[in-house]
Amino acid sequence: MFNPTIIIQMIVTGIAYGFIYSLIGIEFTIVWNASDVVNFAHDKMATIGAYIFGGTFMIGLGFNIPMSILCTVLAMIIWGVFISKVIFIPLRNIPEIFTVMATLLMGKVSMEGCRLIWGNTPFKVRGFLTGTFRFGPIIISRACVVIIIASVLIVVALQLFMYKTKTGKAMRCVSQNKTAAQIMGIDVERVITVAVVISMIICAFIGILSIPLLTIQTTMCDMFGLKGFAAAVIGGFGYLPGCILGGLLVGILENIVALFLPSVYKDVASFVLLILFLLVRPKGITGRSR
Amino acid sequence: MSDMLKVDKISTYYGKVQALHEVSLEIGSGEMISIIGSNGAGKSTLMKSIMGIVQPKSGTITYDGKDITKMKASKVVYNGISYVPEGRAIFPEMTVRDNLEMGAFSRKYSGDEMEQHIEDMYQIFPRLKERQKQLAGSLSGGEQQMLAVCRGLMSDPRLIMFDEPSLGLAPVIVEEMFKVILEIHQARNIPVILVEQNAFMALKISDRCYVLENGVITLSGKSEELLESDEIRKSYLGG
Repeated sequence: MFNPTIIIQMIVTGIAYGFIYSLIGIEFTIVWNASDVVNFAHDKMATIGAYIFGGTFMIGLGFNIPMSILCTVLAMIIWGVFISKVIFIPLRNIPEIFTVMATLLMGKVSMEGCRLIWGNTPFKVRGFLTGTFRFGPIIISRACVVIIIASVLIVVALQLFMYKTKTGKAMRCVSQNKTAAQIMGIDVERVITVAVVISMIICAFIGILSIPLLTIQTTMCDMFGLKGFAAAVIGGFGYLPGCILGGLLVGILENIVALFLPSVYKDVASFVLLILFLLVRPKGITGRSR
Repeated sequence: MSDMLKVDKISTYYGKVQALHEVSLEIGSGEMISIIGSNGAGKSTLMKSIMGIVQPKSGTITYDGKDITKMKASKVVYNGISYVPEGRAIFPEMTVRDNLEMGAFSRKYSGDEMEQHIEDMYQIFPRLKERQKQLAGSLSGGEQQMLAVCRGLMSDPRLIMFDEPSLGLAPVIVEEMFKVILEIHQARNIPVILVEQNAFMALKISDRCYVLENGVITLSGKSEELLESDEIRKSYLGG
Protein backbone atom coordinates (compact mmCIF):
# COMPACT_ATOMS: atom_id res chain seq x y z
CA MET A 1 0.00 0.00 0.00
CA PHE A 2 2.97 2.34 0.58
CA ASN A 3 5.16 3.51 -2.19
CA PRO A 4 8.73 2.35 -1.39
CA THR A 5 10.26 5.60 -2.63
CA ILE A 6 8.13 7.50 -0.13
CA ILE A 7 9.24 5.21 2.64
CA ILE A 8 12.90 5.72 1.72
CA GLN A 9 12.40 9.48 1.58
CA MET A 10 10.75 9.44 4.98
CA ILE A 11 13.58 7.40 6.45
CA VAL A 12 16.24 9.73 5.06
CA THR A 13 14.36 12.72 6.43
CA GLY A 14 14.09 10.85 9.72
CA ILE A 15 17.84 10.29 9.76
CA ALA A 16 18.48 13.99 9.15
CA TYR A 17 16.14 15.08 11.96
CA GLY A 18 17.53 12.27 14.07
CA PHE A 19 21.03 13.64 13.72
CA ILE A 20 19.85 17.04 14.88
CA TYR A 21 18.34 15.39 17.98
CA SER A 22 21.59 13.48 18.44
CA LEU A 23 23.63 16.67 18.31
CA ILE A 24 21.33 18.28 20.86
CA GLY A 25 21.65 15.25 23.12
CA ILE A 26 25.45 15.37 22.76
CA GLU A 27 25.64 19.10 23.32
CA PHE A 28 23.99 19.06 26.72
CA THR A 29 25.42 15.70 27.77
CA ILE A 30 28.93 17.14 27.41
CA VAL A 31 28.09 19.95 29.80
CA TRP A 32 26.35 17.61 32.22
CA ASN A 33 29.31 15.20 32.21
CA ALA A 34 31.77 17.97 33.00
CA SER A 35 29.86 20.08 35.47
CA ASP A 36 26.91 18.01 36.78
CA VAL A 37 24.67 20.86 35.67
CA VAL A 38 21.83 20.10 33.27
CA ASN A 39 21.65 23.07 30.97
CA PHE A 40 17.93 23.69 30.68
CA ALA A 41 18.58 26.53 28.26
CA HIS A 42 20.41 24.37 25.75
CA ASP A 43 17.74 24.70 23.04
CA LYS A 44 17.92 28.49 23.44
CA MET A 45 21.65 28.32 22.83
CA ALA A 46 21.00 26.69 19.44
CA THR A 47 18.49 29.44 18.75
CA ILE A 48 21.14 32.06 19.50
CA GLY A 49 23.38 30.31 16.98
CA ALA A 50 20.64 30.55 14.36
CA TYR A 51 20.04 34.25 15.09
CA ILE A 52 23.71 35.14 14.93
CA PHE A 53 24.23 33.21 11.69
CA GLY A 54 21.03 34.20 9.94
CA GLY A 55 20.25 37.56 11.45
CA THR A 56 23.66 39.14 11.77
CA PHE A 57 26.10 37.55 9.36
CA MET A 58 23.97 36.29 6.45
CA ILE A 59 21.25 38.95 6.26
CA GLY A 60 22.66 41.83 8.32
CA LEU A 61 26.23 41.90 7.03
CA GLY A 62 25.68 39.91 3.85
CA PHE A 63 28.66 37.61 4.38
CA ASN A 64 28.94 34.45 2.31
CA ILE A 65 28.12 31.10 3.88
CA PRO A 66 31.60 29.86 4.94
CA MET A 67 32.49 33.26 6.40
CA SER A 68 29.17 33.42 8.26
CA ILE A 69 29.71 29.93 9.69
CA LEU A 70 33.20 30.86 10.86
CA CYS A 71 32.05 34.10 12.50
CA THR A 72 29.08 32.39 14.15
CA VAL A 73 31.32 29.70 15.63
CA LEU A 74 33.74 32.34 16.93
CA ALA A 75 30.91 34.33 18.48
CA MET A 76 29.54 31.19 20.15
CA ILE A 77 33.01 30.33 21.53
CA ILE A 78 33.15 33.73 23.23
CA TRP A 79 29.60 33.27 24.49
CA GLY A 80 30.57 29.81 25.82
CA VAL A 81 33.55 31.14 27.77
CA PHE A 82 31.32 33.85 29.22
CA ILE A 83 28.48 31.60 30.41
CA SER A 84 30.87 28.99 31.79
CA LYS A 85 32.56 31.63 33.96
CA VAL A 86 29.31 33.31 35.00
CA ILE A 87 26.86 30.41 35.26
CA PHE A 88 28.36 26.94 35.16
CA ILE A 89 31.53 27.24 37.25
CA PRO A 90 30.14 29.34 40.12
CA LEU A 91 26.86 27.44 40.34
CA ARG A 92 27.97 23.84 40.09
CA ASN A 93 28.34 23.32 43.83
CA ILE A 94 25.02 24.76 44.94
CA PRO A 95 21.81 22.71 45.31
CA GLU A 96 20.47 21.44 41.99
CA ILE A 97 17.20 23.33 42.09
CA PHE A 98 19.07 26.64 41.97
CA THR A 99 21.22 25.61 39.03
CA VAL A 100 18.05 24.53 37.22
CA MET A 101 16.57 27.96 37.85
CA ALA A 102 19.81 29.67 36.85
CA THR A 103 20.02 27.92 33.47
CA LEU A 104 16.30 28.44 32.80
CA LEU A 105 16.69 32.14 33.51
CA MET A 106 19.82 32.31 31.38
CA GLY A 107 17.66 30.99 28.51
CA LYS A 108 14.94 33.51 29.23
CA VAL A 109 17.35 36.43 29.42
CA SER A 110 19.16 35.44 26.25
CA MET A 111 15.88 35.07 24.35
CA GLU A 112 14.79 38.55 25.44
CA GLY A 113 18.20 39.71 24.28
CA CYS A 114 17.57 38.15 20.86
CA ARG A 115 14.20 39.89 20.69
CA LEU A 116 15.90 43.22 21.42
CA ILE A 117 18.69 42.73 18.91
CA TRP A 118 16.91 41.05 16.02
CA GLY A 119 13.33 42.15 16.60
CA ASN A 120 10.10 40.34 17.27
CA THR A 121 9.29 39.21 13.74
CA PRO A 122 10.19 35.65 12.76
CA PHE A 123 12.27 35.47 9.59
CA LYS A 124 13.92 33.04 7.18
CA VAL A 125 17.21 33.10 5.32
CA ARG A 126 16.28 33.04 1.67
CA GLY A 127 17.95 30.48 -0.52
CA PHE A 128 19.96 28.88 2.30
CA LEU A 129 20.08 25.09 1.79
CA THR A 130 16.94 24.99 -0.30
CA GLY A 131 16.28 22.77 -3.30
CA THR A 132 16.40 19.01 -3.71
CA PHE A 133 18.61 16.18 -4.86
CA ARG A 134 17.30 13.45 -7.16
CA PHE A 135 18.54 9.88 -6.88
CA GLY A 136 16.52 8.10 -9.56
CA PRO A 137 12.92 8.27 -8.39
CA ILE A 138 13.88 9.35 -4.89
CA ILE A 139 13.80 13.04 -4.13
CA ILE A 140 15.62 14.27 -1.04
CA SER A 141 15.90 17.84 0.12
CA ARG A 142 19.32 19.41 0.05
CA ALA A 143 18.99 20.42 3.67
CA CYS A 144 18.63 16.81 4.77
CA VAL A 145 21.73 15.71 2.88
CA VAL A 146 23.79 18.58 4.29
CA ILE A 147 22.52 17.91 7.81
CA ILE A 148 23.50 14.24 7.60
CA ILE A 149 26.98 14.96 6.22
CA ALA A 150 27.69 17.82 8.63
CA SER A 151 26.47 15.81 11.63
CA VAL A 152 28.62 12.83 10.77
CA LEU A 153 31.64 15.12 10.48
CA ILE A 154 30.89 16.75 13.83
CA VAL A 155 30.41 13.41 15.55
CA VAL A 156 33.65 12.00 14.10
CA ALA A 157 35.61 15.13 15.03
CA LEU A 158 34.22 15.03 18.56
CA GLN A 159 35.02 11.35 18.94
CA LEU A 160 38.63 11.93 17.81
CA PHE A 161 38.92 14.83 20.22
CA MET A 162 37.58 12.85 23.18
CA TYR A 163 39.71 9.74 22.57
CA LYS A 164 42.94 11.05 21.03
CA THR A 165 43.75 14.40 22.63
CA LYS A 166 44.98 15.05 26.14
CA THR A 167 42.24 17.61 26.80
CA GLY A 168 39.59 15.21 25.51
CA LYS A 169 40.86 12.44 27.75
CA ALA A 170 40.89 14.87 30.67
CA MET A 171 37.22 15.61 29.94
CA ARG A 172 36.44 11.90 30.07
CA CYS A 173 38.32 11.59 33.38
CA VAL A 174 36.31 14.45 34.86
CA SER A 175 33.04 12.84 33.81
CA GLN A 176 34.05 9.52 35.38
CA ASN A 177 35.55 10.66 38.67
CA LYS A 178 36.06 14.31 39.53
CA THR A 179 38.19 13.79 42.63
CA ALA A 180 40.49 11.34 40.90
CA ALA A 181 40.75 13.70 37.93
CA GLN A 182 41.84 16.50 40.23
CA ILE A 183 44.55 14.51 41.92
CA MET A 184 45.93 13.66 38.48
CA GLY A 185 46.39 17.41 38.07
CA ILE A 186 43.35 18.08 35.90
CA ASP A 187 41.85 21.50 36.50
CA VAL A 188 38.12 20.75 36.64
CA GLU A 189 37.11 24.38 36.09
CA ARG A 190 39.15 24.54 32.91
CA VAL A 191 37.54 21.33 31.71
CA ILE A 192 34.09 22.80 32.39
CA THR A 193 34.94 25.83 30.27
CA VAL A 194 36.21 23.62 27.43
CA ALA A 195 33.04 21.50 27.67
CA VAL A 196 30.72 24.51 27.58
CA VAL A 197 32.63 25.97 24.64
CA ILE A 198 32.41 22.70 22.69
CA SER A 199 28.72 22.54 23.54
CA MET A 200 28.25 26.06 22.20
CA ILE A 201 30.11 25.22 18.98
CA ILE A 202 27.75 22.28 18.47
CA CYS A 203 24.82 24.58 19.28
CA ALA A 204 26.03 26.98 16.59
CA PHE A 205 25.88 24.16 14.05
CA ILE A 206 22.49 22.96 15.30
CA GLY A 207 21.19 26.50 14.90
CA ILE A 208 22.64 26.86 11.42
CA LEU A 209 21.41 23.45 10.27
CA SER A 210 17.89 24.01 11.57
CA ILE A 211 17.44 27.27 9.64
CA PRO A 212 16.19 25.52 6.48
CA LEU A 213 13.80 23.40 8.56
CA LEU A 214 12.35 26.13 10.75
CA THR A 215 11.65 29.84 10.91
CA ILE A 216 14.06 31.88 13.01
CA GLN A 217 12.25 32.96 16.18
CA THR A 218 12.85 32.64 19.90
CA THR A 219 10.84 29.42 20.23
CA MET A 220 12.25 27.76 17.11
CA CYS A 221 14.32 25.04 18.80
CA ASP A 222 12.00 24.26 21.74
CA MET A 223 10.73 21.03 20.22
CA PHE A 224 14.22 20.00 19.11
CA GLY A 225 15.40 20.59 22.67
CA LEU A 226 12.82 18.21 24.11
CA LYS A 227 13.52 15.57 21.49
CA GLY A 228 17.25 15.89 22.07
CA PHE A 229 16.55 15.17 25.73
CA ALA A 230 14.49 12.15 24.67
CA ALA A 231 17.40 11.03 22.47
CA ALA A 232 19.83 11.21 25.40
CA VAL A 233 17.54 9.28 27.74
CA ILE A 234 16.68 6.63 25.18
CA GLY A 235 20.34 6.09 24.32
CA GLY A 236 21.56 6.01 27.94
CA PHE A 237 21.94 9.31 29.78
CA GLY A 238 25.53 10.56 29.86
CA TYR A 239 26.84 8.19 27.17
CA LEU A 240 27.67 10.10 23.99
CA PRO A 241 27.29 7.28 21.41
CA GLY A 242 23.95 6.55 23.08
CA CYS A 243 22.78 10.05 22.11
CA ILE A 244 23.43 9.29 18.46
CA LEU A 245 21.54 6.02 18.63
CA GLY A 246 18.65 7.57 20.56
CA GLY A 247 18.45 10.56 18.23
CA LEU A 248 18.32 8.44 15.10
CA LEU A 249 15.70 6.18 16.64
CA VAL A 250 13.46 9.12 17.56
CA GLY A 251 13.94 10.79 14.16
CA ILE A 252 13.18 7.70 12.11
CA LEU A 253 10.29 6.63 14.34
CA GLU A 254 8.45 9.93 14.13
CA ASN A 255 8.75 9.99 10.35
CA ILE A 256 7.50 6.44 10.04
CA VAL A 257 4.58 7.25 12.34
CA ALA A 258 3.72 10.06 9.96
CA LEU A 259 3.11 7.42 7.28
CA PHE A 260 0.31 5.86 9.30
CA LEU A 261 -1.09 8.73 11.31
CA PRO A 262 -1.73 12.41 10.66
CA SER A 263 1.59 14.20 10.99
CA VAL A 264 0.47 16.11 14.08
CA TYR A 265 1.06 12.85 15.95
CA LYS A 266 4.77 12.86 15.07
CA ASP A 267 5.75 14.62 18.27
CA VAL A 268 3.41 12.49 20.34
CA ALA A 269 5.19 9.37 19.10
CA SER A 270 8.61 10.49 20.27
CA PHE A 271 7.35 11.58 23.68
CA VAL A 272 5.42 8.34 24.19
CA LEU A 273 8.68 6.56 23.43
CA LEU A 274 10.50 8.75 25.97
CA ILE A 275 7.91 8.04 28.66
CA LEU A 276 8.04 4.32 27.92
CA PHE A 277 11.80 4.33 28.34
CA LEU A 278 11.62 6.33 31.56
CA LEU A 279 9.13 3.82 32.96
CA VAL A 280 10.51 0.56 31.62
CA ARG A 281 14.19 1.05 30.93
CA PRO A 282 15.52 4.30 32.40
CA LYS A 283 19.08 3.16 31.68
CA GLY A 284 18.37 3.52 27.96
CA ILE A 285 19.07 1.10 25.11
CA THR A 286 22.79 0.89 25.70
CA GLY A 287 22.38 0.63 29.47
CA ARG A 288 25.51 2.70 29.89
CA SER A 289 26.08 6.01 31.55
CA ARG A 290 29.08 8.34 31.65
CA MET B 1 66.78 15.94 59.53
CA SER B 2 64.68 18.25 57.46
CA ASP B 3 61.03 17.47 57.14
CA MET B 4 59.77 17.07 53.65
CA LEU B 5 56.12 17.45 54.58
CA LYS B 6 54.98 19.05 57.78
CA VAL B 7 51.36 19.15 58.87
CA ASP B 8 50.94 21.60 61.71
CA LYS B 9 47.81 21.54 63.87
CA ILE B 10 45.24 21.31 61.13
CA SER B 11 41.51 21.19 61.88
CA THR B 12 39.16 20.12 59.12
CA TYR B 13 35.38 20.27 59.09
CA TYR B 14 32.63 18.74 57.00
CA GLY B 15 29.97 21.37 57.39
CA LYS B 16 29.67 21.73 61.14
CA VAL B 17 31.17 18.36 61.97
CA GLN B 18 34.80 18.56 62.93
CA ALA B 19 36.71 15.64 61.43
CA LEU B 20 40.25 16.58 62.45
CA HIS B 21 41.31 18.28 65.68
CA GLU B 22 44.68 20.04 65.45
CA VAL B 23 46.43 17.13 63.81
CA SER B 24 50.18 17.40 63.34
CA LEU B 25 52.61 15.08 61.65
CA GLU B 26 55.79 15.22 59.67
CA ILE B 27 57.69 13.00 57.29
CA GLY B 28 61.35 13.29 56.36
CA SER B 29 62.89 12.32 53.06
CA GLY B 30 63.68 8.63 53.00
CA GLU B 31 61.03 7.78 55.58
CA MET B 32 57.97 5.57 55.46
CA ILE B 33 55.32 6.49 57.99
CA SER B 34 51.98 4.89 58.62
CA ILE B 35 48.72 6.25 59.98
CA ILE B 36 46.47 3.71 61.61
CA GLY B 37 43.06 4.02 63.17
CA SER B 38 39.60 2.58 62.95
CA ASN B 39 36.90 3.42 60.45
CA GLY B 40 35.87 7.06 60.59
CA ALA B 41 38.90 8.13 62.62
CA GLY B 42 39.72 10.78 60.02
CA LYS B 43 42.56 9.06 58.17
CA SER B 44 41.22 9.77 54.71
CA THR B 45 40.23 13.30 55.72
CA LEU B 46 43.83 13.89 56.71
CA MET B 47 45.01 12.70 53.28
CA LYS B 48 42.36 14.79 51.53
CA SER B 49 43.41 17.85 53.54
CA ILE B 50 47.03 17.40 52.44
CA MET B 51 45.91 16.99 48.81
CA GLY B 52 43.66 20.04 48.92
CA ILE B 53 40.52 18.03 48.16
CA VAL B 54 39.09 19.40 51.40
CA GLN B 55 40.43 22.61 52.92
CA PRO B 56 41.45 22.68 56.58
CA LYS B 57 39.91 25.53 58.53
CA SER B 58 43.03 26.21 60.55
CA GLY B 59 46.62 25.04 60.74
CA THR B 60 49.25 24.86 58.02
CA ILE B 61 50.68 22.26 55.68
CA THR B 62 54.22 22.89 54.44
CA TYR B 63 55.89 20.85 51.76
CA ASP B 64 59.51 21.45 50.89
CA GLY B 65 59.37 24.73 52.78
CA LYS B 66 56.37 25.87 50.73
CA ASP B 67 52.93 26.54 52.26
CA ILE B 68 50.45 24.32 50.41
CA THR B 69 47.55 24.61 52.87
CA LYS B 70 45.24 26.43 50.46
CA MET B 71 46.56 24.93 47.26
CA LYS B 72 43.97 23.50 44.86
CA ALA B 73 43.93 19.73 44.50
CA SER B 74 44.80 19.94 40.81
CA LYS B 75 47.98 21.89 41.63
CA VAL B 76 49.36 19.71 44.42
CA VAL B 77 50.49 16.91 42.11
CA TYR B 78 52.60 19.38 40.10
CA ASN B 79 54.70 19.80 43.22
CA GLY B 80 55.46 16.10 43.32
CA ILE B 81 52.90 14.71 45.76
CA SER B 82 50.96 11.72 44.50
CA TYR B 83 47.89 10.25 46.18
CA VAL B 84 46.49 6.76 45.65
CA PRO B 85 42.97 7.24 46.96
CA GLU B 86 40.85 4.95 49.07
CA GLY B 87 38.61 2.72 46.99
CA ARG B 88 41.05 2.98 44.05
CA ALA B 89 39.08 5.59 42.06
CA ILE B 90 40.38 4.42 38.71
CA PHE B 91 38.64 5.63 35.54
CA PRO B 92 36.34 2.68 34.78
CA GLU B 93 35.43 3.62 31.19
CA MET B 94 39.04 4.01 30.10
CA THR B 95 41.54 1.33 29.20
CA VAL B 96 44.26 0.29 31.61
CA ARG B 97 46.82 2.02 29.42
CA ASP B 98 44.84 5.27 29.25
CA ASN B 99 44.51 5.21 33.03
CA LEU B 100 48.29 5.02 33.30
CA GLU B 101 48.72 7.85 30.81
CA MET B 102 46.35 10.00 32.83
CA GLY B 103 48.54 9.37 35.86
CA ALA B 104 51.20 11.35 34.02
CA PHE B 105 48.82 14.21 33.16
CA SER B 106 50.89 16.64 35.22
CA ARG B 107 54.10 15.79 33.34
CA LYS B 108 55.08 16.55 29.78
CA TYR B 109 56.72 13.30 28.78
CA SER B 110 57.91 12.66 25.26
CA GLY B 111 56.52 9.58 23.53
CA ASP B 112 59.56 7.52 24.53
CA GLU B 113 59.49 8.65 28.14
CA MET B 114 55.82 7.74 28.36
CA GLU B 115 56.54 4.27 26.92
CA GLN B 116 59.38 3.80 29.38
CA HIS B 117 57.23 4.78 32.35
CA ILE B 118 54.40 2.48 31.27
CA GLU B 119 56.87 -0.38 30.71
CA ASP B 120 58.23 0.20 34.24
CA MET B 121 54.71 -0.13 35.62
CA TYR B 122 54.12 -3.36 33.69
CA GLN B 123 57.29 -4.67 35.24
CA ILE B 124 55.95 -4.02 38.74
CA PHE B 125 52.65 -5.71 37.92
CA PRO B 126 52.93 -7.86 34.76
CA ARG B 127 49.23 -8.61 35.05
CA LEU B 128 48.46 -5.04 33.96
CA LYS B 129 50.29 -5.60 30.70
CA GLU B 130 48.06 -8.55 29.86
CA ARG B 131 45.06 -6.34 30.50
CA GLN B 132 46.35 -3.10 28.96
CA LYS B 133 43.61 -2.81 26.33
CA GLN B 134 40.75 -3.72 28.67
CA LEU B 135 38.49 -1.18 30.29
CA ALA B 136 39.68 -0.59 33.84
CA GLY B 137 36.15 -1.11 35.15
CA SER B 138 36.29 -4.75 34.03
CA LEU B 139 39.33 -5.57 36.20
CA SER B 140 39.11 -7.45 39.49
CA GLY B 141 39.47 -5.52 42.73
CA GLY B 142 43.10 -6.53 43.15
CA GLU B 143 43.98 -5.55 39.59
CA GLN B 144 42.24 -2.21 40.05
CA GLN B 145 44.34 -1.56 43.14
CA MET B 146 47.50 -2.44 41.18
CA LEU B 147 46.41 0.01 38.50
CA ALA B 148 45.72 2.72 41.07
CA VAL B 149 49.19 2.27 42.59
CA CYS B 150 50.85 2.43 39.18
CA ARG B 151 48.78 5.42 38.11
CA GLY B 152 50.04 7.17 41.23
CA LEU B 153 53.64 6.40 40.28
CA MET B 154 53.38 7.59 36.69
CA SER B 155 54.07 11.22 37.62
CA ASP B 156 57.46 10.37 39.20
CA PRO B 157 56.30 11.62 42.59
CA ARG B 158 58.68 12.79 45.29
CA LEU B 159 56.21 11.79 47.98
CA ILE B 160 53.47 9.20 47.65
CA MET B 161 50.48 8.56 49.89
CA PHE B 162 48.57 5.28 49.89
CA ASP B 163 45.07 5.34 51.33
CA GLU B 164 44.00 1.86 52.49
CA PRO B 165 45.66 -0.09 49.70
CA SER B 166 44.58 -3.39 51.26
CA LEU B 167 40.88 -2.55 51.49
CA GLY B 168 38.69 -5.39 50.27
CA LEU B 169 41.51 -7.47 48.80
CA ALA B 170 42.21 -11.19 49.15
CA PRO B 171 44.97 -11.96 51.72
CA VAL B 172 47.44 -13.12 49.05
CA ILE B 173 47.08 -9.87 47.15
CA VAL B 174 47.31 -7.82 50.35
CA GLU B 175 50.70 -9.40 50.96
CA GLU B 176 51.81 -8.62 47.40
CA MET B 177 50.58 -5.05 47.70
CA PHE B 178 52.61 -4.37 50.84
CA LYS B 179 55.65 -5.98 49.26
CA VAL B 180 55.36 -3.65 46.28
CA ILE B 181 54.86 -0.58 48.46
CA LEU B 182 58.00 -1.43 50.38
CA GLU B 183 59.86 -1.97 47.11
CA ILE B 184 58.68 1.37 45.75
CA HIS B 185 59.90 3.02 48.92
CA GLN B 186 63.29 1.34 48.92
CA ALA B 187 64.18 0.98 45.25
CA ARG B 188 62.90 4.38 44.18
CA ASN B 189 63.74 6.07 47.43
CA ILE B 190 60.34 7.77 47.65
CA PRO B 191 59.00 8.77 51.07
CA VAL B 192 55.68 7.03 51.72
CA ILE B 193 52.67 7.84 53.87
CA LEU B 194 50.63 4.68 54.34
CA VAL B 195 47.13 4.87 55.73
CA GLU B 196 45.84 1.53 56.91
CA GLN B 197 43.25 -0.29 58.95
CA ASN B 198 45.46 -3.33 58.80
CA ALA B 199 47.55 -2.10 61.72
CA PHE B 200 49.82 -5.11 61.96
CA MET B 201 51.04 -4.88 58.36
CA ALA B 202 51.34 -1.11 58.51
CA LEU B 203 53.46 -1.25 61.66
CA LYS B 204 55.62 -4.00 60.22
CA ILE B 205 56.72 -2.15 57.13
CA SER B 206 56.79 1.50 58.29
CA ASP B 207 59.51 3.35 60.22
CA ARG B 208 57.18 5.46 62.33
CA CYS B 209 53.48 5.40 62.99
CA TYR B 210 50.72 7.75 64.07
CA VAL B 211 47.52 6.52 65.68
CA LEU B 212 44.44 8.53 64.83
CA GLU B 213 41.28 8.25 66.92
CA ASN B 214 38.18 10.40 66.38
CA GLY B 215 40.20 13.03 64.58
CA VAL B 216 42.94 13.27 67.20
CA ILE B 217 46.45 11.82 67.12
CA THR B 218 46.54 9.81 70.32
CA LEU B 219 49.85 8.06 69.93
CA SER B 220 52.91 8.21 67.74
CA GLY B 221 56.37 6.78 67.67
CA LYS B 222 58.68 4.20 66.15
CA SER B 223 56.66 1.43 64.58
CA GLU B 224 58.66 -1.38 66.16
CA GLU B 225 58.08 0.10 69.60
CA LEU B 226 54.38 0.58 68.98
CA LEU B 227 54.17 -3.00 67.83
CA GLU B 228 55.26 -4.05 71.33
CA SER B 229 53.09 -1.60 73.27
CA ASP B 230 50.14 -2.96 75.21
CA GLU B 231 47.80 -0.20 74.13
CA ILE B 232 48.26 -0.92 70.45
CA ARG B 233 48.11 -4.65 70.98
CA LYS B 234 44.79 -4.36 72.77
CA SER B 235 43.01 -1.97 70.40
CA TYR B 236 44.49 -2.77 67.02
CA LEU B 237 46.19 -6.12 66.99
CA GLY B 238 43.54 -8.19 68.74
CA GLY B 239 45.28 -8.87 72.05
